[in-house]
Amino acid sequence: MVDALIETHALTKSYGNFGALNGLNLRVMPGEIYGLLGPNGAGKTTTLRITAGLIEPTTGSVLVSGFDATKDPLHSKAQTGYVGEVPILYESLTPKELLEFEGSVRGLAREPMNRRARQLAEAFEVVSAFDTPIATLSMGTKQKIAMITALLHQPSVLLLDEPLNSLDARSSRILKELLSLHVQRGGAVLFSTHVMEIAQRLCSRIGIIFGGKIVAEGNLDQLRARAGEKDATLEEVFMKLTNEASEVENIVRMLRESFFDVENR
Amino acid sequence: MKIADAWRLSALPYSEMAFRSILQNSSNMWWGSFGRGSPESSGREDLVRRALRIARFDKLIITVFVVVAAGAPFLPQALGASYGISASVTLSLAVSFALVVLYGVQTLSSFVTSGPSPVLSTLPLVRNDVSLVNLLSFVRTSDYLVVGSVACQVFFVSLVTGSALSGLFMLFVGGVNSVMGVGVALWLSSVFYRNILGSKQGKRSGVLRLALLLAWGVVVLGIGVLFAAAGYLIPLVQSVLVSPNPLTGSILSLVYPFSLGISVGSVAHGFLPSSVERIALGATAGYLLIAVAVSRWSMTSVASFPEGVSIATARGLTHDTSVPLHKPVAAYAMKDLRAASANLPSAFLFALPVFETLIILLIRAFLPTLGASTLLVAMTLGGMVSLVLPLVLVSSEGTGFDFAKTMPLRMRTIVFSKALIATVVFLPAVAVVYVDGLLRPLTSPFSILIPLASILAVAAASLLEIRLFLGFAPGGRVTFALQEFSRMAAGAGVVLLPAAIYVGTYLLTFNHALAAGAMVVVASAELLAVAESVRQS
Repeated sequence: MVDALIETHALTKSYGNFGALNGLNLRVMPGEIYGLLGPNGAGKTTTLRITAGLIEPTTGSVLVSGFDATKDPLHSKAQTGYVGEVPILYESLTPKELLEFEGSVRGLAREPMNRRARQLAEAFEVVSAFDTPIATLSMGTKQKIAMITALLHQPSVLLLDEPLNSLDARSSRILKELLSLHVQRGGAVLFSTHVMEIAQRLCSRIGIIFGGKIVAEGNLDQLRARAGEKDATLEEVFMKLTNEASEVENIVRMLRESFFDVENR
Repeated sequence: MKIADAWRLSALPYSEMAFRSILQNSSNMWWGSFGRGSPESSGREDLVRRALRIARFDKLIITVFVVVAAGAPFLPQALGASYGISASVTLSLAVSFALVVLYGVQTLSSFVTSGPSPVLSTLPLVRNDVSLVNLLSFVRTSDYLVVGSVACQVFFVSLVTGSALSGLFMLFVGGVNSVMGVGVALWLSSVFYRNILGSKQGKRSGVLRLALLLAWGVVVLGIGVLFAAAGYLIPLVQSVLVSPNPLTGSILSLVYPFSLGISVGSVAHGFLPSSVERIALGATAGYLLIAVAVSRWSMTSVASFPEGVSIATARGLTHDTSVPLHKPVAAYAMKDLRAASANLPSAFLFALPVFETLIILLIRAFLPTLGASTLLVAMTLGGMVSLVLPLVLVSSEGTGFDFAKTMPLRMRTIVFSKALIATVVFLPAVAVVYVDGLLRPLTSPFSILIPLASILAVAAASLLEIRLFLGFAPGGRVTFALQEFSRMAAGAGVVLLPAAIYVGTYLLTFNHALAAGAMVVVASAELLAVAESVRQS
């Protein structure tokens, strides 16, 4: 049996009285792109940050390529590439200096690293920005730089938080191809999104996260079956499984009334 | 828009600007770390909370400091000293000018890079109103400082001279000084941030950036010296001002802020002005015209860049993407130095070696031989100054620290790299002492071991401080604040212990060789013990 590349066990995370995660379990197998789909504040970012070793869970554990992210962070981080929702970079450095820092800290071999950095920089069209302080770059370019830092060491696990948010169409396409190539060679991707089309098109499996728990997971057909909606779109399935359909309808009705009310006045 | 409404509205962009400047310059945030309470203490949320806390109290705390600094030069007269007031006014003006510039440059970083409030420009306000609100948010950056320092100067001049006229003249001179200070801060902010955040290509721009940082660092440290040595400087300046050589007096009466100080002195004594005073009064009138021009330029500049100044970036010139690789400790240290060179408040890091060396040379200058006690005092003082670095290096990680946290990095790599910087910064001072030791006679040849022991002690203290600062222990706010102080105290203890051992051993044995040997042994033991504890982390 193939071992999961990401495995969380009863993960909880509390901030004071607020429980961001409430016993989250998920497994991402090699060759899988797993999409975490959920509304704002559902726990997507917290799950990714715990898996990346940025924060520790309150209880529960995360295994990355078999290494405990809390107890053995060095090995788990060596296997991981992470891109945050807002790119987290040393903004006073240039991309070149940042890659120099990353390559040195990760102990990469110089020639292959430089080759890969060049390929990725050309693919994302950021070569011309290599000597420019990151602070002065656009959000999209920062996102591309963050993506290069995540892919540079060819990790087995990619953790991407809303990765397509600031990317242009060309770069989005390239990233999707890169993710496909990554899983084809046995890697795994865990990524969060609240854009249904992206999840539907890109992911082998989708986990619907709500209130800090996975409330349903599987491919689109499995989710439809779970929701009891045979030909439904992912959005309809999502609304059904998160019990938000009737609430959204009420809000839309209220908004319509208030809009017409203003116009009639 | 009414000016009262614009003033009220300007509070919001000002708060946002202060917050962004503090968040941008995270090495400014060290004192806001007191009372932090989260295991993810370096996370963005914590930094934002800390920046908000600092933004709320920063200006008030700095104002108290500026008022004390502006008032300190008048204390000798207030306590009955007999010499004239010109030197005190000159020094007070110099200190308040420097502090207004210093604070202004740090606060205005966000103002000049992105404008006071981009959101304001999107609201349905006419351009003149936006400009007015911008101008008033700019005024808010230094309002307390200017009012506080000028009021303090007017109070003391009136008190010491007993003349309402000289108090009124001080109000005018203080106003000129503040306008100049704020104008210079605005100009320097745009120059600095254009150069620091601009493209990093080319050796020339690199040298220019380093020169700017070094100059700024020396200014920052110089203000500290000016403030600390006010008691010695006032009689010195006064003696130069009343120098029998009319040329010296005439030259000084033209130089800012001496001309302003001499003018106040002239108005205070009420006699017919001397030739030097007449020159000073003429120069003051000239500075008034310059201040009017500076205030016009400032208002025009502020009102015309709601979007901030453009930062020159040289896109499209790079073709080379190849990067060298290093050992992790060296890579981390290089990252820290590069980040510090793009951050104005960290500039004093680059000036610290110069400053430490100056302290030692000054102590040394008045003594014919290099005695053990001189070396001990000089090296311990230099070592204590170095201890500020670990705190700055940890604080300056800022929001980017999350990036490092995603790397397979051991805590010890970070601790060793930062301690390496803190120790290397101390080395020029030690080198100067060794060169001096070769050139001048030593009271004991063994006292040359003192600088060696000091390097070891500084390395141990830096390791310990950084390890403690990066650590986390649960507890309430008071506990955290106490922990922060105890961390710094622990570092100071590590530097002081070998010196104390030297003194103790010498008093017991009257043998320099034994005392120096004991000092080296204790400092080495400290370093080994702390390094081992860090290695196991």
